[in-house]
Amino acid sequence: MTRAGLIAGFAAGLVLAVPAAAAPGDCGKALPAEGRQHLQGPGYTAVVVPSLWPIPVGRHFSLQVQVCAETGKVLPQTLRVDADMPAHRHGMNYRSTVKGLGEGAFLAEGLLFHMPGRWRLRLDLGQGAEVVRLEQALEVR
Amino acid sequence: MNRWRMRLHRVLAGLVLGAWLAAPMPSHASVGGGVLDFDGDEIGRILQHGPWPPPPAVDPGNRWSAQPAAVALGRQLFFERRLSADGRMSCATCHVPARAFTDGRAKSQGRVLLDRNAPALWNAVHERWQGWDGATDSLWSQALRPLTDPREMGSNAAHVARVVREDAQLSCRWQAVFGGPPQADAEATLVQAAKAIGAFNASLVSGRTPFDNFRDALARGDRAAATRYPLAAQRGLRLFVGRGQCHLCHVGPMFSNGEFADIGVPFFVRPGVVDPGRHGGIRALQASPYNLLSPWSDGPDAAALKTRHVDLQHRNFGEFKVPSLRNVAKTAPYMHDGQLATLRDVLRHYSTLNLDRLHADGDAILQPLRLTAAETRDLLAFLRSLSAPDATRWQAGPLPGCRLSRAVGDLETR
Repeated sequence: MTRAGLIAGFAAGLVLAVPAAAAPGDCGKALPAEGRQHLQGPGYTAVVVPSLWPIPVGRHFSLQVQVCAETGKVLPQTLRVDADMPAHRHGMNYRSTVKGLGEGAFLAEGLLFHMPGRWRLRLDLGQGAEVVRLEQALEVR
Repeated sequence: MNRWRMRLHRVLAGLVLGAWLAAPMPSHASVGGGVLDFDGDEIGRILQHGPWPPPPAVDPGNRWSAQPAAVALGRQLFFERRLSADGRMSCATCHVPARAFTDGRAKSQGRVLLDRNAPALWNAVHERWQGWDGATDSLWSQALRPLTDPREMGSNAAHVARVVREDAQLSCRWQAVFGGPPQADAEATLVQAAKAIGAFNASLVSGRTPFDNFRDALARGDRAAATRYPLAAQRGLRLFVGRGQCHLCHVGPMFSNGEFADIGVPFFVRPGVVDPGRHGGIRALQASPYNLLSPWSDGPDAAALKTRHVDLQHRNFGEFKVPSLRNVAKTAPYMHDGQLATLRDVLRHYSTLNLDRLHADGDAILQPLRLTAAETRDLLAFLRSLSAPDATRWQAGPLPGCRLSRAVGDLETR
């Protein structure tokens, strides 16, 4: 084999060595089971686990997030987490901060739902200029 | 009937009675007597408003909170008129114990007429933010505001230090808490005084109310106890957690979500001047050198989570704190500037709400309630049942005398 062939083969191996997309059932398997939420979007699955479950009204909580990409998709570089109550036309009074933990894992802190009712959790997965939004309804009592 | 059969009948009757008392409140069943037939959802919402009292809380960022010596010092400072620049005002001037720690005025009178109503201090330790605008994130940083504001007490570090040094008991208590005399020119003196006052304020937790007794009776299925709660108050409670949707903002044991809302109350202070409410509060909070992110905070870091994440938004303009409804019947007048004189006026406001007054991007929750006279009476009965018997009876009993032992920091009391 020529030297160029070896280099090409090594590069191909690097590409192939990018973590394969986890099967939807495997996504976030390592996260706690209680309160686990599954969000699905074009090309992505996210598993979200709140630090408090059920999510109480009027207390700060955090979210562990595991994003999994389908074959051919790349894991997001950034994540933005927000929430609102569409029926009431208002969002949270707090802006969450998100820490990337690598391999599609994130920790979002500073969330607070200040009213009982239906909240819409929004995850914006950022990859360059592209943003994919995943949403999940959460009933808070 | 022979003796054996009579004994058996008594045992069986006791078993039946015990089972009836122990049975959980049936849903959708008319329970008769003096208790409404609250359904499962209603009971769930009612139970959310307790239990009371909640677990003890401390003034965040204040290492002396819950320390008896600091509470004693803070109490003395709270009532100390000499702390103000002209010797005429103390914290108790606007936070009068016999008025549930408010002052009964629409707007408080400092050295000038102020722009807002004095919030009640009962249970303030359980509030997330202090003040109608939430400009402070702790009781101690809130105490600094009126202490140093030239429109209120107009004090400063040198003045506080002199007052403390010239009073033997104050000086003794100060040294017992802080380990030495106050420094005349040190900002630390002001912060220490404020933290002592914060420690005292954190101790002000009001007692149980008739509502709490009813709520707990529902929780344990005690019908006998539940019937003691007036039916009018029960009907008002049903409105509160039902059609009125009051429970959406007046949440939990505090009857407040601790956040802010625009409910269509005008926020003009005087011609050409508006009260920015929460918007101004967040700006003041973020600029404050005494917030929980500052070096003056004693931590822990988790206490500053709210301050770190609070988000300034356009809709905050004109929002004011959702007040706790505990003891609300004792804290007239109402709203951030006391513009509503009575609870009946408050209900009239909600009943005839002008939606055009709300911000265009405000909450789409409020609708005029169109309360009947009977519904108004019932809601008033419910709101009055949120008053603790001790709400207007706090007494400043004698403080034990202070004497320092040889080791600085030890407090002996006679």
